[in-house]
Amino acid sequence: MEVVRIENLTKIYGSGRTAVTALREASVGARSGELVAVLGPSGSGKTTLLTSMAGIVEPTSGRVTIGGVTTFDDGWKVRDLGRFRREHLGFIFQSHNLILFLTARENVLVALQTRGVTGARAVRIAQELLDYLGVGERQGHLPEALSGGEQQRVAIARALANTPQVILADEPTAALDTERGQSVMALFRRIARERGSAVICVTHDRRMVEGFDRIYHVKDGLVSNGRE
Amino acid sequence: MNLAVRDIRRHPGRFALSCIGVGLLLTLVLSYSGIYNGFVHEALTLIDKAGADVWVVQRDTRGPFAEQSRLPEDTRYRIAIVPGVAAASPYIAYTIQREWRGRPLRFVVVGYDLHSGLGGPHEIVAGRGIAQAHYEMVADAKLNLPLGTKVHLGLNDYTVVGLTRGVTGSSGDPVAWFSLADAQEIQFVKDNWAIRNLRERAKAAYATALPTQPTLSEVLAREFADNPDLHTVNAVLVRLDPGFQPEAVAEAIGRWKYFTAYTTEKQSQLMLAGTVARARMQTLLFRIFLTIAVTVIIAQIIYTMTLEKLQPIALLKLIGTPTRTIVGLVLQESLALGLIAYAVALVVGRLTYDKWPRLVLVGAADQLTLLAIVLAICLIASAMGIRRALRVDAGAALTG
Repeated sequence: MEVVRIENLTKIYGSGRTAVTALREASVGARSGELVAVLGPSGSGKTTLLTSMAGIVEPTSGRVTIGGVTTFDDGWKVRDLGRFRREHLGFIFQSHNLILFLTARENVLVALQTRGVTGARAVRIAQELLDYLGVGERQGHLPEALSGGEQQRVAIARALANTPQVILADEPTAALDTERGQSVMALFRRIARERGSAVICVTHDRRMVEGFDRIYHVKDGLVSNGRE
Repeated sequence: MNLAVRDIRRHPGRFALSCIGVGLLLTLVLSYSGIYNGFVHEALTLIDKAGADVWVVQRDTRGPFAEQSRLPEDTRYRIAIVPGVAAASPYIAYTIQREWRGRPLRFVVVGYDLHSGLGGPHEIVAGRGIAQAHYEMVADAKLNLPLGTKVHLGLNDYTVVGLTRGVTGSSGDPVAWFSLADAQEIQFVKDNWAIRNLRERAKAAYATALPTQPTLSEVLAREFADNPDLHTVNAVLVRLDPGFQPEAVAEAIGRWKYFTAYTTEKQSQLMLAGTVARARMQTLLFRIFLTIAVTVIIAQIIYTMTLEKLQPIALLKLIGTPTRTIVGLVLQESLALGLIAYAVALVVGRLTYDKWPRLVLVGAADQLTLLAIVLAICLIASAMGIRRALRVDAGAALTG
C-alpha cells in the first residue's frame, strides 16, 4: 500500500497574464520502506511538489494523501497542518537545517518535545538516534562546531525523532562532497529498510540516485515516472 | 528544554550588555521618580519637623520658606494671647554659604526659641541638642561637620554639639540649628570693618548734604551704619491647645491686619505649589519621554532578536512545533530582558542613590510602578516580535 499518494496535483502561482504553472497534473506515489527520488533541474517544480506534500504550499487542484490521511483534495482537508507534519513527516534539507543555538542533542530533543516526549525518555531516544547515525559523541556540540556531514546526520536524527511515516529530503547532499553525499544516501537506504519510512528525496544531482527504488523526473512542472 | 534560555546562552555577552543598557535606562526612570519624591520630601521636611500647628508670617507673604517674611520678634506675645494658642515661638530660616576650610559650606540657618523648642532639631543621631543660649549649633550630618567642630560665622565661633540625619531645606541644602539670638546675629550683625567703612561713607555723604552741622552728620552716619535692630523674625510658630482647630485659630489671627496665618497643611501646600510644582512637571515630562525611549529601545531589541531567529522559527514551524512554543520563545526572552534590566536598575539605584547630590527617595510604590511599566513594555515589544514570528512561512526553512 502506498503511504504517499499524489494525484493530478497542479500548482499555479499568480493569476492572469502573470500566472506561472509550477506543477501540472503531477502524480507521485511511495510505499513504506521505499526510497524515492524526484529528479529535475532548478526551477522545474521539485520543491513545489515537496512543499505541497508537506502542507506548506497550497496546491491549486489535485489530491494529496499521506499515511492514509487526505490532506488536500481541491482544498485543505486537515485543519492543523503543523500537527499533521509533526505526526507524519520528517524533514531534511540542504542547509539551515539545524537550530544554531541548540546542541546536536537539543536539536533532536526539540523534535521529540514537539511530540510530547520529554525528560529522561527523550534524552535516551535522542542519544540512541545520534548513536545510530554515528554522531553520538558529538551530541554536546553546537552546529557551528560540526562538519557539514555531521550536521546532516544530526538533521536526519531529528527527522527520525518522531518516527515519521514519510521523510521529505530537499537536496540533502547539495552542500556535501561526493563521499559524504553518498554516505548520507546510504543512510537513507538503511533508514528506509530498517525503519520502514518512505524517503522522498528531491535532488538535481544524478550521481546520488543509485539504489533508489523509484525515480520521478520533473521538467517544467510535468512529472514523469523514470524507473520503478 | 527551554528554547529562550538556549538562545540566550549562545550570545550571553550581548544579552548581558542589552540587559545592562536597558537597566541603566530604567535606573534613570526610577531615579526621576525618586528625585521628585526627594523634592517633595525636602520641601516639607522643615515644615513637618517644626512641630507647629499654625504658621504666622508677614501680611500677604507665603513665608518663611517660599518667600521673605519679616515680623517683629515681640509679635510672639500678641499671638500667645489668642484663645487656643498653647505656645507661640519665634522662628528664623535663611540660607547662607560660607567658605570653610577651603570648601563652600552652604546650609539653611534655623533659629528657634530654646525654651519652647518649636522649630528645633528632632531625632538627634549623635551628641545632644543646644543647651546654652549662645555659640552652639546642631548640624545635619550632610554638612560633614563632626561633633566638636568650631565654625566661624559672622563675629563668633559656633561649636557643633549635635547631629541630625536627612534634614534639608527645600533647595536640598542641609540644615543647621542655632538659638534664635545667634541666628539673628549671624544674619544681621555686621563686623567692625564693615561698620567703620559704612560710617566713613555715610559721613562723607552727610558732610556734603549738611556742611554746617558736623555733629548731626556724625550721629546720622552712626545711625545709618551701625547694626540694625536684631529683633526680627521670619515667622512665629504656634502650637495649639488640645481641642482647637488650626483652621479656626489661623482665621482668628489672620483677621489682624499685620499678619497672615497658615495651618501646617496650608503651609505645605504653598511650598509644593511654589517650589515643587515646576520641578514636578519637569520630572514628569522627562519620565514620560524616557519611558517612551525605553519602550522603543526594548521593542527594537526584542524585534531584532526575533528577526535573528526567523530561520530557526521557520524550522520549528516546519517540524510542527506548536505556536505556543514559538510564542514562549519570544515572550520569555523579552521578559528575561525586562526583568533582568529591572533588577539591574534596582541594584544600581541602591548602590548609588546615597551619592547623588540631591535626595533620591524611591519607595516600594515607585518600584512596583516601574515593574508594571517594564512588564507592559515587554508585552508590547513581544507582541510585535510574536506577530512577526507567526508570519514566518514554514517553507522559509527549506529555501533558506
